[in-house]
Amino acid sequence: MNFHFPVTKNRVSFAAFPALFLVLVVTHSSLAQQRVSRHYPAGKNVRIELKNLSGTITVETWARDEIRITATMEAPAVHFNPRQTDSGLVVDIVGDNRDRRDVGDVNFKIQVPARSSVDLETRSGQISVSNIQGDLVRAHVWTSGDITLSGVNAARVFASNTTGNIFFDGEFASGGTYEFKSGQGTITLRLPANCGFRLVATAPAEKISMGPFSSGALKTLGQGRRITGDVGDGRASVTVTNYQGDIKFMRR
Amino acid sequence: MNCEKYQNLLSDFIDGSLAQNDHHSVAAHLSACAVCSEARDDLGAIAAVCLESRGQYEAVPNERALWLRISNIIEAELPVASRHAVPANAGWWFRLMNRSWRLSFPQLAAAAVVVMIVVSTFTIMGLREFRFAGGAGYQASGFAPTIGSGNLKDRYRQQEQVIAYWNDRVELNKARWNPQMRETFDKNMKVIDTAVNDSMRQLTQNPHDEVSEEILNAALNDKVELLKEFSAL
Repeated sequence: MNFHFPVTKNRVSFAAFPALFLVLVVTHSSLAQQRVSRHYPAGKNVRIELKNLSGTITVETWARDEIRITATMEAPAVHFNPRQTDSGLVVDIVGDNRDRRDVGDVNFKIQVPARSSVDLETRSGQISVSNIQGDLVRAHVWTSGDITLSGVNAARVFASNTTGNIFFDGEFASGGTYEFKSGQGTITLRLPANCGFRLVATAPAEKISMGPFSSGALKTLGQGRRITGDVGDGRASVTVTNYQGDIKFMRR
Repeated sequence: MNCEKYQNLLSDFIDGSLAQNDHHSVAAHLSACAVCSEARDDLGAIAAVCLESRGQYEAVPNERALWLRISNIIEAELPVASRHAVPANAGWWFRLMNRSWRLSFPQLAAAAVVVMIVVSTFTIMGLREFRFAGGAGYQASGFAPTIGSGNLKDRYRQQEQVIAYWNDRVELNKARWNPQMRETFDKNMKVIDTAVNDSMRQLTQNPHDEVSEEILNAALNDKVELLKEFSAL
């Protein structure tokens, strides 16, 4: 059976409205966003400091000895003035926009050499860091936002938020310091089987799961609210605190 | 050579046992130096007397017995002299400090053991007091409520004053925030407040619960830091 719709001028006009509306919406949203990309030369052990107001921060590594920072700014766009220092790059959105009452979110994508150190902070929004192997990885969300650190092999790692999950997938260096803290969310640490560390894990909600890293060397204190002790050689120092959520250990 | 060195050679000079060069040197100095010359004369006179009296004095029959008697007299006189040094109207402290103490080795060892026991006892008591007074709280940074030594709410009230200050500053600016930011802030503050209240409840039931004490400490610090951060907006 064939259906045949006679095409009239009126029908063409009606069909064009949704398409026109879509084009206007896309155009408007693209005009409302401003995208800025900058490149900076960098040594292999560069340090990036970023203080954002609101928005996502994504840090990735690449094989070039340079930093590429791409900021996608929503209206009203923030003042964006990265500053090069002796040790690397500083981006202080908070300081640069201190007197401005209402600014839009900024989503950052940063590409750096693998041996870089990153110090990231935002009032709200997600932070994602992958494959960093420098000295320091610090990710702090003042309020809400997930933190994902994957493929990280740094000597010092600090991740904290008030609301949101924290996921760490990486290795603990011998003698390194690792701190994870959340107010409400799940903290998950995914580690190699041969990982060695000295642990102090505290979760008042009594939800600490050591998974494959359970052993007799670990002590449970305070009716299960705290677990302390050595896993493996115990050479890295690991502190995990979660006020209301879970703490989970997983094997890679 | 100076006079001191010449005078050291005088004895040998008088005996005539110096080498020829030294003898001439000393003689030349003595002719020019009145002091050394006088010393030479004195020493020569002593030597002459000794030579003249040689073999004319009688030896003491028992020298060792004599020295023992002398020694006993000296030792017997010493305490008497010190006792006489303390005035009759001297205070107890003066008498104590001027007293001669003679302790045997066992007495000394016993005294040392007593001192060690007393010091150890006081140290242990002090450490226990510190721990019960919230010593564990000092392990965490910042506010350290001393749960055992005082009323928990009194301690918390001190921190509340700091929180109230920053809270006032936040409230001043809050009206200018956009609704999304206000909602986010309030939601997260509620999470921290819940942690504070849960810890307080636990500590009310068990005042010496270290885990709750540390969580309370950390949550209060987080609250202050969050208020500070948002007060600048």
